[in-house]
Amino acid sequence: MSASQSAVRSRAEAVKVSRTFDYLIIWTLFMVLIGGYHIHFMLTGGDWDFWSDWKDRRLWVTVVPIVSITFPAAVQAMAWSRYRLPFGATLCVLGLLLGEWINRYLNFWGWTYFPVNFVFPSNLVPGAILLDVVLMLSGSFTLTAVLGGMAWGLVFYPGNWPIIAPLHIPIEYNGMMFTLADLQGYHYVRTGTPEYIRMVEKGTLRTFGKDVAPVSAFFSAFVSILIYFLWHFFGNWFSQTRFVQST
Amino acid sequence: MKTIKDKVAKLSFVALLMTLSAAMLYTPTASAHGEKSQAAFMRMRTIHWFDLNWSKPVVEVNETMEISGKFHVFAGWPETVDKPEVSFLNIGIPGPVFIRAGSWIGDQLVPRSVTLELGETYSFRVLLKARRPGEWHVHTMMNVEGGGPIIGPGKFVTITGTMGSFTNELTTLTGQTIDLETWGLSNIYFWHGLWYLVGVAWLVYWCRRPVFIPRHLAVSAGKLDGLITDGDKKVAIIFFVGTIGLVLFGMGQANSKYPVTTPLQAGLMRGMVPLEMPEVSINVKVEEASYRVPGRAMQMTLTITNNGDSAVRLGEFNTASVRFLDPEVYQDDSGYPADLLADAGLSVSDNSPIQPGETRTIEVTASDAAWEVYRLSDLIYDPDSRFAGLLFFFDENGNRQMVMVDAPLIPVFI
Ligand SMILES: [Cu+2]
Repeated sequence: MSASQSAVRSRAEAVKVSRTFDYLIIWTLFMVLIGGYHIHFMLTGGDWDFWSDWKDRRLWVTVVPIVSITFPAAVQAMAWSRYRLPFGATLCVLGLLLGEWINRYLNFWGWTYFPVNFVFPSNLVPGAILLDVVLMLSGSFTLTAVLGGMAWGLVFYPGNWPIIAPLHIPIEYNGMMFTLADLQGYHYVRTGTPEYIRMVEKGTLRTFGKDVAPVSAFFSAFVSILIYFLWHFFGNWFSQTRFVQST
Repeated sequence: MKTIKDKVAKLSFVALLMTLSAAMLYTPTASAHGEKSQAAFMRMRTIHWFDLNWSKPVVEVNETMEISGKFHVFAGWPETVDKPEVSFLNIGIPGPVFIRAGSWIGDQLVPRSVTLELGETYSFRVLLKARRPGEWHVHTMMNVEGGGPIIGPGKFVTITGTMGSFTNELTTLTGQTIDLETWGLSNIYFWHGLWYLVGVAWLVYWCRRPVFIPRHLAVSAGKLDGLITDGDKKVAIIFFVGTIGLVLFGMGQANSKYPVTTPLQAGLMRGMVPLEMPEVSINVKVEEASYRVPGRAMQMTLTITNNGDSAVRLGEFNTASVRFLDPEVYQDDSGYPADLLADAGLSVSDNSPIQPGETRTIEVTASDAAWEVYRLSDLIYDPDSRFAGLLFFFDENGNRQMVMVDAPLIPVFI
């Protein structure tokens, strides 16, 4: 088919069709991300993101940014190198959060009756905005990996602190000290998640005393840089167009 | 145009359905009725629950009930299951239909994992506060790291009332009185909502102009000018600075609003105090034991020596929470779950009192449908075909002695 036999007959119609495709693609992409990113994140971040009594200042801070920078890196690679669109990370994170909220609200609360203030997801939006802006302004994946990946890891804990701080108030309960988050984990019985599975406050960062969250965040940021590199390659591979030789 | 719109609508609907079903795949509840499917030897040779009591059959929302009793940690713990060095006293209920208001081993509150010693007996109690109306099977349960859940007997408890009236009021160390059921909820919605809007704003900014096709054509043709304008860069910087500003603002505000916070509490608890059990003066030797498949009966030949100073009779054989009683010696009126109680399931060839100093060899038969219903007969298919259980002897004053038995089991198929 040559250009003169185009399916659209006027410029106005072309614009209209192009716009329709925009909505179609972005909606489909968003839905695919909700599914794919969400499943990936449940399998890797899992319990750290499900329960407030796993959201600690060592492992949650370390694990969640590392396993969640994956899809944003890949989608950024696709959206930027194919379209010069700097919203890959944000699109991913909004998809993930919507999927998580649907799951937490309908399944965790609606089906199993865990209170929402026990099963809310982690906030990843600040890191996503920073990642997108760094890519857009630098135009370089190397700089985005280093500066953006660093920002992604570092902003995670402060970006979530206003949400989890009220649950870290101490309480005395039957002669022991708990945080409210610990007490949620004790009160709202999870038959399949015994206490010893909970991986919190474990690690060897003991020399840093109580200022362990920034150290964990720096470590997480460093690994996030590496993971970003790896996954932006995946994004590139997946967004390549290859043609079959005609005979 | 109309057909394209229809297609968009159709595709979106399909995608939404797919997303929802993907989200549905994960449900964090464990069925409360896994008790029968657990390998028989796990239930017979790990934790033996006894003297159990469910304090109420019916509770109203906000009321409490208690499960109390004892458990014996079997000394012949199977090789295939990790030792109970890290164990957690759990409760087998379908999700948080009750909240666990407290749980104790001995007098020690056990919100965390504990170390249990083989061969010891512990007392325990779990205090539950009713939250969600319904009829729920409430099991005792011990999780053992590397071994999985060890489920004890379950009994139905009915919760009446409405869940809406449930409250979980507590006073923190900072002096606030809160309802943990909803504490911090509006704060969570506020921050998640606010940040989601920031993300949507960024997305909408870029989607106001043509997104994919024209940009793709331009990028493919190498015409990158104009795809990112100076105005875009300004907006991006505003988003960047705004994001960092909002994070810092949120953090500062949280710190001034909640100046006292502590890290999550975790750690293993050792030194659980076992129960002082009365001195055992009865010696039991298992001469042979067989399970008769057609008759659903287990037969043991026991040689019993009474080294004590009062005559005793065998009253109960308890294995995997199934209790076989000889009604002439002992009757149970504690309201033990009927399906686990064979109140006349124990017959003894000669159950006249065994006098002090006497040694007697007796034939004991424990028969009940529970062998099949609770799939205990499956133990003949276990890799290590042994059985284990608790024998309870009584003297005429009602004093009780508990003796463990543990021996190979030979199946009889004809
Ligand atoms: Cu059950």
